[in-house]
Order: sequence, then structure tokens, then C-alpha cells
Amino acid sequence: MNAMRTDTENLISGLVDELQPVRPLRFWRGLGLALAAMALTVIMVVTLGGVRPDLAAGRPDAMFLIASGLFLLLGLAAAVTVVVMGSPRVGNSHDGWRWAAAMAGLLPLAALLLALGDFHAAWIASEPEHGLLCTVYSLGLGLLTGAMLVLWLRRGAPTSPGYAGLLTGIAAGCAGVFAFSFACPFDSIMHIGLWHGLAVAVSAFAGWLIVPRLVRW
Amino acid sequence: MKTEEATLARLTAMAQRGDRQAYGMLLSECQTWLKGYFRRRIAPQHLDDLVQETLLSLHRKLASYDPNRPFLPWLAAIARYRWVDHMRRLYKEEDEAIDGDIPAAPEEPAIAARLSLERLFSYLPQAQAKAIELVKVEGLSIREASRASGQSESLVKVNIHRGLRKLAAMIEKE
Repeated sequence: MNAMRTDTENLISGLVDELQPVRPLRFWRGLGLALAAMALTVIMVVTLGGVRPDLAAGRPDAMFLIASGLFLLLGLAAAVTVVVMGSPRVGNSHDGWRWAAAMAGLLPLAALLLALGDFHAAWIASEPEHGLLCTVYSLGLGLLTGAMLVLWLRRGAPTSPGYAGLLTGIAAGCAGVFAFSFACPFDSIMHIGLWHGLAVAVSAFAGWLIVPRLVRW
Repeated sequence: MKTEEATLARLTAMAQRGDRQAYGMLLSECQTWLKGYFRRRIAPQHLDDLVQETLLSLHRKLASYDPNRPFLPWLAAIARYRWVDHMRRLYKEEDEAIDGDIPAAPEEPAIAARLSLERLFSYLPQAQAKAIELVKVEGLSIREASRASGQSESLVKVNIHRGLRKLAAMIEKE
């Protein structure tokens, strides 16, 4: 009887023998983990680097609120999309984050438009001596959120690894920028648009380049 | 045999908790479903391989099914992913001629039409769908496909490449 079994039936029998209980991926748990990673990153910045003077005084600057809010929204939108991508399903749409990206994209776009008038003045206004450090710190701070999302995707089954990688990079970059904003004292649109925007762009590129190799199945 | 969404979802939830009997039933049902699903869109000699690869993926990615969501759209996404991956791998191998007709597929339930591979194919430009169909499904060589479609050989290759890339990006599209 056993000799008459097909290869597929033998495979099924082997898979049944191997079965171990698994914990299903649930959206709220994934989102909770992403939020926890972001919150932990902010706590690290505040604890180790302190907060900006205006925050410490309880009077946050309007530009800080707008810019960090936009990066937070984009980071959340990208993280939610990554979490959803872990559980594939025909009929899923992964386009919601684009609106948040368009809104956050206004920051570098505004900086670019203003720089067209006087490029040198814009460069000086961007605080170039501090800017690159802002970018590097933000990239480093995004690693925790990025690693958490990669682990989620590895447990899941993303059907578009490249797209998932890009969004993981965006979420990580935005989480890093958002957290570092609590310590970064510069509020000019040139600084935020160039150096903070650069961190998200670099992180997105790195995610697109690296993450697919880690999550392909 | 018609598969029932609610039964499959329940069996999967039980399998996630480690119920081997439920898992055996689930995999057998999925095997039948997958054979019908792939039959029209893969050369017959590759059908069993593709079904087995998809069952293996189901096994490895069992945790990615959320028991609160419908089951078949999840299985269809896994199946589409494996199908595109399978065709990409075939694309790198030498073309093989296929003798005989492809057996007619059983009538597909209307409820599953949105999940089907036909649906995915319908989003491709006609020239790309034709090139993939002739070479990857019917097993013609590039030269034969060029003659049959009226496209140049290089265009057939380009259309297969672009078509597969497009399919890979649309796996979850309804």
C-alpha cells in the first residue's frame, strides 16, 4: 500500500510528521512591536542625548512639531504596510503609505525650491557641519525598527520582497529621524529637508537593496 | 471536489495549534485545490513539482496565515508567488518541447475567479501574456514562439522578462 503512494502523498506525510505548533502572525501584534521599537528608540535618544531646549522648556517649536509629525506618520504608514505584507492575501493593497510619503516629501521639496534662489545661502542654512551627523545618527537609530520589521517579514511570507524592503527602509529611516528630532536643535527647512530627508532616502535605498535577500522565501 | 473556505480556515487554525490530523486533511485538500489552480497555467510535466513546492511553502509559512482572515486568498497568494518563481526558474533553463494537448481545466467556481491565475494574466499587455503563454505554458522554443506570435525572437525574450517581472509585482492583486 505504501509503495503505491505518490511523491506528493509522501511529501504530505513527511510534512505532517514535522508539524510543530506555530504562533500566527496577527496584525495588532506586528503593529505593537513596530510601535514598541519606535518608542524604545525615542527613549534611547532622550535618555542618552537629552532633549532640545524648546522641548525641555515645554514650548516645542512649530517646525519641530510639523516635521517630526510628518516623518512619524510616514514611518507608521510604512510600518503598517510591512506588517500587512507579512500575511499575504490576494486582494491586499499596499498603496496607502504613498499619501504619507507625498506629504513628508514636501519637506525636501520645499527646501529644494527655496535653495533655487540662493544655493550658497541655503547650504549654509542647512548647517552642513552638523547635518551629516544628523543623517548618520538617524540611520543608526532606525536600525532597531528596521531589524524588528525584517524579523517580522522573515516569519511571514512577503510576496514582493523588493517592495517590502523599500518600505522597511522607509519605516526604519523615519523612526530614526523622528527619534533624533528630539535631540536635534536645528529647525530650518533647509536642514530638515536636506539632512533628515537624506536619512530616509538612504535608509529606503539600503532597505530595497539589502532586505529582499533576508526575506525571500 | 469543491473546497470549502470555512472548513479550510478551521483546519489551518487547528494545524497552527499542532493538530496533525487536521494538518493532513488540510494538505490533502490543498493538493487537490492547487492541481486545479495551476493546471491551465503550467506545462503538465511541471504540475506535480509546482504543487509540491507550494505545499512546502505552505508548511514553512504556516504562521503567516491569520485565522481571522479568509483562507483561500492566502493560499492563492502563496500559490501565485511559487508559480511566478517557478516560471522564472524555467526561464533560465533550456526550453523543452511538450507533446500532446494540455488537459482542459475543470470548471472554476465563480467565487475563486478573482484569485485565479487567469485574472493575474489579464493584467498583462497582450504581447507579454502571449509570449509567456507560448514559451512557459505551452513549451514552445523561442523561435517557435516567435513564428507563432509574429514577434521577433528578441522581442519574445524581452516580453517574457517584462511579463514575469510584472506578474511578480502583482501577486496580491485581485
